Order: sequence, then C-alpha cells, then structure tokens
Amino acid sequence: MTSLLIHLRRFSVYRGLTDLYARSPLARLLIVSVVPLLWILGTTAAPLAQMVLVSFYESFPVAEGETARWTLANYASFFERPLYLTAFLRSFVFATIVTFLTLLVVFPIAYYIAKVAPRGRRTRLLLLVIAPFWVSEIIRSFAWIVMLANRGAVNSFLSLIGIPGTPVELLYNNISLTIGVIYLTSLYMLLPLYAALEKIDDNVLEAAANLGAPAWRRFLRIVLPLSRDGVVAGCSLVFLLVIGLYAMPQLLGGPGNTLFATTIGQIFAKAGASWPQGSAFSIILTGTALAYVGLFVAIFQRRGRGRT
Amino acid sequence: MRLRNLALPGLFWLFVAYLFLPLLVMAAMGFRDSNFVAFPIHSWTTKWYGEVLLDRDVMEALWLSAKVAVASTVISVAVGLPVAFAVARTSGIARGLLIALILLPAFLPVVVSAISLRIFIGRIGLETGTAAIAFGHAVGSVPFVVIMVLTRLNTMGRNMADAARNLGADDVIILVRIVLPCLSPALLGAFMFCLLLSFEDFVRSFFLGGFEQTFPVLLFARLRFGFDPGLAAISTIVLIATTGFGLYAERFVRKRSLRSETSLTSGAKND
Repeated sequence: MTSLLIHLRRFSVYRGLTDLYARSPLARLLIVSVVPLLWILGTTAAPLAQMVLVSFYESFPVAEGETARWTLANYASFFERPLYLTAFLRSFVFATIVTFLTLLVVFPIAYYIAKVAPRGRRTRLLLLVIAPFWVSEIIRSFAWIVMLANRGAVNSFLSLIGIPGTPVELLYNNISLTIGVIYLTSLYMLLPLYAALEKIDDNVLEAAANLGAPAWRRFLRIVLPLSRDGVVAGCSLVFLLVIGLYAMPQLLGGPGNTLFATTIGQIFAKAGASWPQGSAFSIILTGTALAYVGLFVAIFQRRGRGRT
Repeated sequence: MRLRNLALPGLFWLFVAYLFLPLLVMAAMGFRDSNFVAFPIHSWTTKWYGEVLLDRDVMEALWLSAKVAVASTVISVAVGLPVAFAVARTSGIARGLLIALILLPAFLPVVVSAISLRIFIGRIGLETGTAAIAFGHAVGSVPFVVIMVLTRLNTMGRNMADAARNLGADDVIILVRIVLPCLSPALLGAFMFCLLLSFEDFVRSFFLGGFEQTFPVLLFARLRFGFDPGLAAISTIVLIATTGFGLYAERFVRKRSLRSETSLTSGAKND
C-alpha cells in the first residue's frame, strides 16, 4: 500500500494536489468541510426548514400551478382540541416521572458497578447489564406483554401461590408502560452515570469516612455533587428518548392515555392533507422539549459553578 | 453494617433479573404447544421454531433489515469519518456549532426526525422504501460514529503523524498508514454499533418504509393483531443473534484496541 502511494508521487497531478492540501489552509478547510456541511444541510437543516415551512401551509403537497397559502390554523388547532393539549401535557408529565424513576433505579446499580464491585469484575458486570439493550424496542415490548398479560407469567405465578382475584389487570395502563419504558431507558442513564461515578477518587471517600462522615453524608456531599454531570447528561438523554417514544406506548400503554408523539404519528399516518398539522405539532413538541431540557441543564450547571 | 453490604449487590442482581427475566419468559413461550400465548405451559414443542423459519414474510423482513443495516452502516461510517476529521480540525465557536449541528439528529424526538425526513425525501424525489430507510438510519447513526471516532482521535496525539511528515510522508500516506490504522478499533466499533442500531430501529423504518417491512415493523404489525407463540420463537432467535453479535463486537473491539496500540509501534519497525 505504501509503495503504491509512493509510486503515485511520480505523477505531478497527485503531487500538486497533496502539496496544495499541505500548504494552503484555505484548501484544507474547503476539502475538510465539504462532507460535514453537505450532510448537515441534507439531513438536518433542509428537512427541519421544510418542516417549519410546511407547518404554515394550508395544505401539502401544494397543488400543481398554485402557490402555497399560508396560515396559522395548524398551530391554532393545537389549542382548540383539549385532546391534543392533554396528550401534550401527559407526555411531559410522563417523561418527567419516568426520567426521575429511571434515575432512582439506575443510580444504585451504576454506583455498585463503578465503586463497590471488585475492580476485576466491573467490566463483566457492566457487560451483563448492557447485553439486553441490543434487543429492539418491539421485542422488549413483546417480552413484557408475555409477562404481564392476563394469562401471562406474573398472573400465572400469582394464582399459583394462591392469591385471590387473579387475573389482575396488569397490562395496558400507565404502570405497565412505565415498567416497559424504564426497561428501555436504563442504559441511557447507566452509561453517563457510570462514567461520572468511575472518575470519583476513592481516596476522597475514604478520607471522608476516616474523618467520621456517615454514609448518607458522604453520598450527599461527595458522590452526588461529583456525579452531577452524569446525572444531568443521563436525565437529558432519557427525557428526550421518552418524549419521542412511538411504538412502546401503543403496545404497552392504555388506549385512553395517548402520548403526544403517538398523536403526531397518527396524524401523519392519515392522508397527506394532514401533514401541515403534523408538522406544526412536531415543531411544538421539539421546541418545548429542547427548551425544557435546556432549562434543566442550565439550572443544574449554574448551581454547580456557584458552589465550587 | 452487614445488611448494608448486601443491599447494593442485592439491588444489582434484582436489576439483572428485571432485565433478563422477561426475555427468558418470552423464550420459554416460544416452546409452548398451543396457539395462544398463555401460562402455564403444560406441553412443549419445537414446532414454532420450524414454522417461523419457513414463514416467507418473516424471512423477507429479516433479509430487508439486514440489507438496510449494511447499506446505512456503510453510509454512516463513510460520512462520519470525514465529519469527525473536520470537527477535530476546528476549534472555538465553530467547533461547538459544528458538533451541535452534527449531534442534533440524535437529540430530536425520533418521531420528529423521521417525519421531517419523510416530508423531505418527497421533495428531493426519493420514494419511500429501502433506500429511504437506509438514508434515515444513516441520519440517526452518524452522530454516534462521529463521537466514537472523535474520542479515539483525541487520545491519539500528533507525534506519529508529525514524525511521518518529517520523514517525507504526504497527507495521503499519513492518513492511510497512520491515522486509519490508529482509528481502526473505533471504526470497527462504530461499524458494528451502526449495524445494531439500524437493525433495531422501528420509527424511522415505519415512516420511511414503503410496502416492504423491516423486521421490527413486521413484528409491530403482528403484535397489534394478536400473538401466537411463533412470535416469541422468532423474537428469541433475533434476540440471541443480536445479543451475541453485540457481545462479540464489544469483546472484539476491546481486544483490537489493545492490540493495535502495540502492533502499530512494532508494525512500523517491520516496514
């Protein structure tokens, strides 16, 4: 390979190009930035810009030979039907609760792997917990259906040990959905938390213990502040994941508890005429979700800077 | 004190049970000799596994998923690598802006990302279908490729590239002989990670797909109609395949990254 490249240097065109690349900072900048700029334009900027445009259209696609008519009706319709507004609020409340629950569930697990378990076993324990996350959302939803259905594993077990009143309705409500969603989100919480907790110096914890700080104080004054970055990153990731969930709420959630992402999806699954409305709702969801997370990150980071 | 020492490991193993029990229960369901998904299981059979392997729709969906996974992964790595180079060369505000824009698709709600692409592909004259799905998956995967390559680039240092330049190597030789070998564990990891991401994706496939269904879309459609143990059987097969692949990738990448560090220094000597 190298000899081929050296051979190539005999050609003046090749030499000219590589020399130009090596000498001129402008040429280097142009060559290097072509791919990123095109990619951003073609996959993020243009689609989002078009979505914003479409959200103000009266109808889409615009009929042949006509110019698009502009309207705010798509945004107004969000406030007109309580159906949409409740789904929207439900999504935010649900995502906030699930994010908090995921943090509660995953923190001790990450702490155990990063700090308590024997050093040599940490990688293996981490892999053990990561392994199920290579399974798709749909398969994992199905696994929970098999667990929680009226004649599923849990009900079968409950009646086996003689609990009266079985089958208990476990599926198709907010609890089954929460159980399933935490199953989905814990990895996104685990990895940032683990990375943050692993960096905490054991000596600091030991010093605090030697100076008489009880476990809860060591946790509040050392572990929690030092893992703040991981907590903030994990919570942001999980929240954004949950707010965009589409499939699992339809498989595990109740019919009366539609989340906003599902609403948007259903609007789009209808004929093309409803795309402007779907676009407007998508922009409302994205804007508020990013602002919500941005606010959360800003509050926690500023507080951190103030203290240290 | 004793109790507290047991509490954390206890919670950990409880969590492991929470992760694995549903999957094991589902795997067991695939062996139930009945047309319904229900417990308890009185008689066992392996017929569902045979039936599922002969199911044309399932096999076609798996094949489509595999094709899409490979295509989108090739695009993601081909785009992610130069993007990471570009990010590594910029600094200050430009760098922050570039990273933010590159990572944005990973932070958008997936439904929104998929829908914006769905509207956009019509504009650029692409039909819904296999190519659109592969494109959509690549959009979702590029941020991860960029992060993985950047992490590796940051730890690489410039010494070897500078030494090669002093010895007369041009930029192409440095790229081929030094930078790419150094990045190979990260690239390999990114490659396998993208394959898994694409294979698992539901939302983008759902909105960008035409009449052909990828495996998650097919499974979703069938789950909405009702379940039979055959679905558990095929889910179990896919679960074992993807988990095995993931574990293998993880091991392989970790070993490679150790070896490439040593082989790069010794390989330079042999040349």
